[in-house]
Amino acid sequence: MINIDQLFFSYPGSTFDLEIAQLSLAKNTATAVVGPSGSGKTTLLHLIAGILTPTSGSISVGASFVSSLSDAQRRSFRLEKIGLIFQDFELIEYLNVLDNVLLPCRIGNVLSISRSTRLKAERLLTSVGLEGHQRKPVTKLSQGERQRVAICRAMLANPSILLADEPTGNLDPVTSEQIMTLLLDAVRQHNTTLIMVTHDHSLLSRFDNTIDFAQFLTPVGKVDAHDVKEST
Amino acid sequence: MNFTNALYLATRSLWWFRGRAITIMLCLALTLWLPITVRLLLNQFKAEIVKRADATPLIIGSRGSQIDLALHALYFDSVSPDLTSMSEAAYIQETGFAVPIPVHIAYRTQSTNNVDGVPIVGTTVEYFEFRKLSLQSGEGLAILGDCVVGSNVARKMNLQPGDRILSAPKNAFNLAGDYPLRMNIVGVLAPAHSPDDDAVFVDIKTAWIIDGIGHGHQDLTAADVDQDILLDKTDQSVTASAAVLPYTEITAKNVNSFHFHGDESTFPVSAIIAVPHSRKDQTLLLGRYASDRSELAQCVKPAKVVEDLLSIVFRVERLIWISSLMSAIVTALLLGLVLLLSIRLREAEMRTMHKLGCSQFTIITLVGTEMAILSLAGLSLAIIAAWGSHWLASDWLRSLVF
Repeated sequence: MINIDQLFFSYPGSTFDLEIAQLSLAKNTATAVVGPSGSGKTTLLHLIAGILTPTSGSISVGASFVSSLSDAQRRSFRLEKIGLIFQDFELIEYLNVLDNVLLPCRIGNVLSISRSTRLKAERLLTSVGLEGHQRKPVTKLSQGERQRVAICRAMLANPSILLADEPTGNLDPVTSEQIMTLLLDAVRQHNTTLIMVTHDHSLLSRFDNTIDFAQFLTPVGKVDAHDVKEST
Repeated sequence: MNFTNALYLATRSLWWFRGRAITIMLCLALTLWLPITVRLLLNQFKAEIVKRADATPLIIGSRGSQIDLALHALYFDSVSPDLTSMSEAAYIQETGFAVPIPVHIAYRTQSTNNVDGVPIVGTTVEYFEFRKLSLQSGEGLAILGDCVVGSNVARKMNLQPGDRILSAPKNAFNLAGDYPLRMNIVGVLAPAHSPDDDAVFVDIKTAWIIDGIGHGHQDLTAADVDQDILLDKTDQSVTASAAVLPYTEITAKNVNSFHFHGDESTFPVSAIIAVPHSRKDQTLLLGRYASDRSELAQCVKPAKVVEDLLSIVFRVERLIWISSLMSAIVTALLLGLVLLLSIRLREAEMRTMHKLGCSQFTIITLVGTEMAILSLAGLSLAIIAAWGSHWLASDWLRSLVF
């Protein structure tokens, strides 16, 4: 369960403010976040992930109050509980496919490289159709393949929340559909909560909930509980 | 993040950006190479020059430049000091304070097998004992005209016992002067890693023969001598014209005809190495040359002369160090700039790592590890290159010094 209460956030020196009075998202659900560019969709994901700290208010994920964690605790929380997927994949170009998937194990103290982690990474790659590509440089992969590597990286730690920021934004419709299927399968199979920013309204029917920033976010974004619509 | 992970990611990154990494590494290596090489060469220079000077207690020679005298006696330097005479050696012998070892270095050999001539050192057998020189092959000096060659001379000129080598006249157009002497190589010295390796040794009398002080020629009192070459002949003496040519090679057949005109005590020597029997004798001998003999000759402590000389050399070294330091600062600034630019270029990668849960410290550790690897590789390359340069240049340096 994700709970946001009386959240206010503003970037220093910017006129942009994000205000969310109340927002609750149930466990193991898929939520789409839609809205115009600059409305605060990515900011919301970053606040949930603990990348950004709210100016006031609180965010809790399960029993963890993200907003009151220290920097180090938020980093550990991210590595342990959050899987992040970005629009431009954000893979490390000098690492091969397998090393990119294993990256969270190398950059923190939460996960460690072990035989079982490697096997899991290989299984994840196989599950997304990238078997035999483990040693390939990521620069040699297609856009769709890169996004699949990014998904495997996000799924490695069995995160309870998967935050995806326009993961299909740079993909063609066919690949986009494959990626969507993968993400939604992950929610069902791994008991994960998915929050995904998207501009593609045709995908909304596949989500359990939708947060639409379009209706109320200019100039000051404000989300209330009733703004979270249940998809039909 | 543990060190293994930092090392793994750093090596992957360096391999991926290998062009940049190699450039930085070479810049570092080049900056470090010069001062390391200079230090190694100067250390070798100092060790070799000091070792020989320390091993030579006293040098006696004519008054004048102490540096010229010491360098000439120790390293057979081509700048010859004013000559002294054998009377000085006799004086030292008479004092009973030291064993005198005369050295006379006035001539060089002719170029042989496309190798430039080397100094001919006229001395006595005591010199070989004093310098602990042993034979690698052949035998020691036995008769006039014999010579033993240093190991480098033998190697470079491709000489061995049984070969001949010619001395080079100082002035080829002086018809009445010194004739080249063909010397018999009877032995090759074992390497001593000193200037002795690059010299030809003869008995001091052979050196005087090369100098024209002694010579051998046909017997002018013999009945079959051509009367046209005789200017005057009495029962006591024979005077011949310049048509009587001296022998240019000493053989078993003509060795007895070689003779010296004049008093041996007046014969020239470049310097005399004095080996005192004790420290007290050394002080007494120095005292003699500081008082009674001060008008005739000088007695120098080579270690002191070389020390003075080195102080000049090491002042030059300081200049090299300063220039190396300046270039190191410039390189460090350039590397800093490269690092800063590369961090900016990799900003996206670092942002991604931060978003995934990587701390600022971990990112600094990663960049630091990369820099440490590059610095270590640059330093290793500089040391290897310096060692190689030192190895290649040591012979050249020795030839420069000696």
